[in-house]
Amino acid sequence: MQFLYSGLTSGSIYGLVALGFNIIYNTTGLINFAQGEFVMLGGMLIYTLFCMFEIPFYTALPLTLAGCFIIGVLYERVFIHLARYKTEINLVTLTIAASIIMRDVAMHIWGRDSLRVDDYIPVVNVQMPGGVISSQSILIIAVSLLVAWGLNFFLKKSKYGKAMRACFDDQTAAETCGISVRNVRIMSFAVSSAMAGIAGVIISPITFVTYDDGIMIGLKGFAAAILGGLGNFWAAVAGGILLGIFESFSASVIPSGYKDAMAFFVILLILFIKPDGLFGRKKATRV
Amino acid sequence: MLEVKSLSVSYGAVQALSNVSVHVAPGEFVSLIGSNGAGKTTLLNSIMNIIGNSKGSVTFDGKDVTKARTPKIVTKGMAIVPEGRRIFSNMTVRENLEMGGFTRPAGEVKTNLQKMFDLFPVLEERQTQTAGMLSGGEQQMLAIGRALMTSPKLLLMDEPSMGLAPLVIKEVYEKLKVLAAGGLTILLVEQNATMALKYAQRGYVLENGRIILQGKASELLGDNEVKRAYLGKEYKEKWER
Ligand SMILES: Nc1ncnc2c1ncn2[C@@H]1O[C@H](COP(=O)(O)OP(=O)(O)O)[C@@H](O)[C@H]1O
Ligand SMILES: [Mg+2]
Repeated sequence: MQFLYSGLTSGSIYGLVALGFNIIYNTTGLINFAQGEFVMLGGMLIYTLFCMFEIPFYTALPLTLAGCFIIGVLYERVFIHLARYKTEINLVTLTIAASIIMRDVAMHIWGRDSLRVDDYIPVVNVQMPGGVISSQSILIIAVSLLVAWGLNFFLKKSKYGKAMRACFDDQTAAETCGISVRNVRIMSFAVSSAMAGIAGVIISPITFVTYDDGIMIGLKGFAAAILGGLGNFWAAVAGGILLGIFESFSASVIPSGYKDAMAFFVILLILFIKPDGLFGRKKATRV
Repeated sequence: MLEVKSLSVSYGAVQALSNVSVHVAPGEFVSLIGSNGAGKTTLLNSIMNIIGNSKGSVTFDGKDVTKARTPKIVTKGMAIVPEGRRIFSNMTVRENLEMGGFTRPAGEVKTNLQKMFDLFPVLEERQTQTAGMLSGGEQQMLAIGRALMTSPKLLLMDEPSMGLAPLVIKEVYEKLKVLAAGGLTILLVEQNATMALKYAQRGYVLENGRIILQGKASELLGDNEVKRAYLGKEYKEKWER
């Protein structure tokens, strides 16, 4: 059971990152390989504001998320919008370049050491059937589900969320409704970057934060998105949780050094066996 | 209301439109007919700046909109029902209509929505259904409704009859007639020359990217050249089916 709890915890984070991949994939058809770097950035910002400058947590949190949001906008403006030839391969390569740049800049600003983010909620271990779960883990799971629910609510109920879905369906038709696809694209980068920032904030007290965290978390979020099937939001969350649990259980039977390799094993397996993902549907055909 | 002057568009080596000039006066119903590949879709899409590699000028309501972005043109009062309808198939009927009202204030969206439901009762019945599940005719009504939700002065229609049964085609055109009678200006392009010219006041004939004929719709309907090239062809197609 203990494996289940730790799997659920890391799985929720993968799910959050996978959601970010999905939003950008849906509006641009791109895999944003700098997604993990935004998680790192969330951790770094909360460390800087909350631990270094000792700004109260409930002020530091919105500042961090606003920071990630703005960096998401700038990121789109610089790496996607300015690209001269917007072929998918060019843009995806640019996102990889961007991730390397972000990592290097982070290393220069925050150094190579793991930074400890102080606990911002009381740490207690809750006795659960068959194991214990820390209050931080509960927070991670709860916040992830809340964000997923919030995103769903935004997409289903709000005017701008619906406009985003219209762009997922047919960008040209969206433009003929007066929706600026350019703005929706900026918004999707900003929203997914802010979501990654949330992930960074909630895991940092457990994992600490290091400049190169983004690689692994990004690839695992990507694996979760592939596992669930790109283009489907709930599948992304489910894919994340499944991956987390799978990883955690595998650590009990194979040497834990291979734990990180499990994510790649999952990517390969899915790509070979079921490229649309476990819950993938064929895209609704346009008439 | 709309003035297209010597518009030329090419896709690489393919010259799709050469020096096309078209005008539409307020309140007019104008049809432009042409066979498959004549350049009809290219014309409407360049007017809306959905494709942006055109030479020439487009003036709408006295303002130059040649280089304006599509959403901007929409807010100025021009709307398009695109070829193949292109409804948002994963969204509900109601959401599709709401998207049409994206640039309009909430109050106007509400009254427009009611107008659409009055004009197309079937859309009200199916408002919570996923749009992709509608029949072809219903999808065409939805596409028209979505375009009308932008409160346009001028409606561009790209082949409303495409893929529809004759009875449904007639139903669509009857709706357009109602809209035209209500003061909406319409520029429609079609392969189906008979219907398009029957309902229009004026017409153009486009062939290989050039306007080869224009005049009163009733005169074009009686024109021997048109009969041979377009009406005859439909007749022939009917036999081949
Ligand atoms: N995206 C495109 N790339 C290259 N050629 C195109 C493209 N779209 C249309 N064409 C060509 O331009 C011409 C006009 O096409 P179109 O405007 O779609 O005609 P219509 O709507 O009258 O059937 C055709 O010869 C077509 O093959
Ligand atoms: Mg066409």
